[in-house]
Amino acid sequence: MADDLQLARSVSEAVLAIGGVHSLGTGRYAEAATYGAGEKVRGVVVNPREVRVHIVVSYPLVEPIPALAERIRQRIASRTEDRPTTVVVEDLVKVEQDENL
Amino acid sequence: MRIFNRIVIILLLAGLFVLGVLAVLYSLGVAGYRLAELPLDTFSQDLIRAVRNVETGNLHVLDLGGLLLSALLGLVLLVFELKPPAPHRVRMQQGTYITRRAVENEAIEAVESPEVLQSSVNVEAQRRPGAKVNVKASIRPGEDVGSTQSGVQDRVQRRLSQVGIPVSNLKVRLVESDPRETRARVR
Repeated sequence: MADDLQLARSVSEAVLAIGGVHSLGTGRYAEAATYGAGEKVRGVVVNPREVRVHIVVSYPLVEPIPALAERIRQRIASRTEDRPTTVVVEDLVKVEQDENL
Repeated sequence: MRIFNRIVIILLLAGLFVLGVLAVLYSLGVAGYRLAELPLDTFSQDLIRAVRNVETGNLHVLDLGGLLLSALLGLVLLVFELKPPAPHRVRMQQGTYITRRAVENEAIEAVESPEVLQSSVNVEAQRRPGAKVNVKASIRPGEDVGSTQSGVQDRVQRRLSQVGIPVSNLKVRLVESDPRETRARVR
């Protein structure tokens, strides 16, 4: 469980550092998070079958979403321990140009 | 359909509960309810007659119609129940999904134009990659429906493909509305 939390934290940091990702999503029907003792990492769900990343994408897009998802997968591949990665785009948020700088 | 089935089951179970309570009341003779007062003899005779008719193949047209109708209804309900539900999210490619709300927002932004007074978008996710997008847009009476419809269709298609959302089915329906009754009253 602690490993899952650590993995979720590491994935969260890596994904937020990718250009085009505005923030991590929180889930729509149920909270998307990995839970640990007294702590949770929102936007990343780690379970034995997969690692699921919920993101909010910045608009205008720097690249189409499938390409961004592929970049996310590549970036976190070394951390996910061979578990398949699912990317869920929850929303697109307009950002001002100077916010990107 | 699952909600409809649930309602049917709830009503059925509620009916069975009421029947059970009444059966207890009648059989114990509580509060003036007496089993002897129930027309059970007539009911059982009718039932026996109907079953005998079924056995001998001598069915009345109404009985036959009722049986066929109930069989057909049962089949339709069964098919709808067995049909897997539509997914919540739109699949873009293997392992990449987008929420229906995000697709709706993108489509609504694409629809916006001076000739469109207001619009609503409904997105259905499909089992295969892609979404089914239904756009309903209001235009002023007398506008060129054909060109507006193709313009809206092009814009939505272009916007969604820029984002990378595959659209398997895009339908645009235009309705003429009084500008005083729509959101965008003055342009």
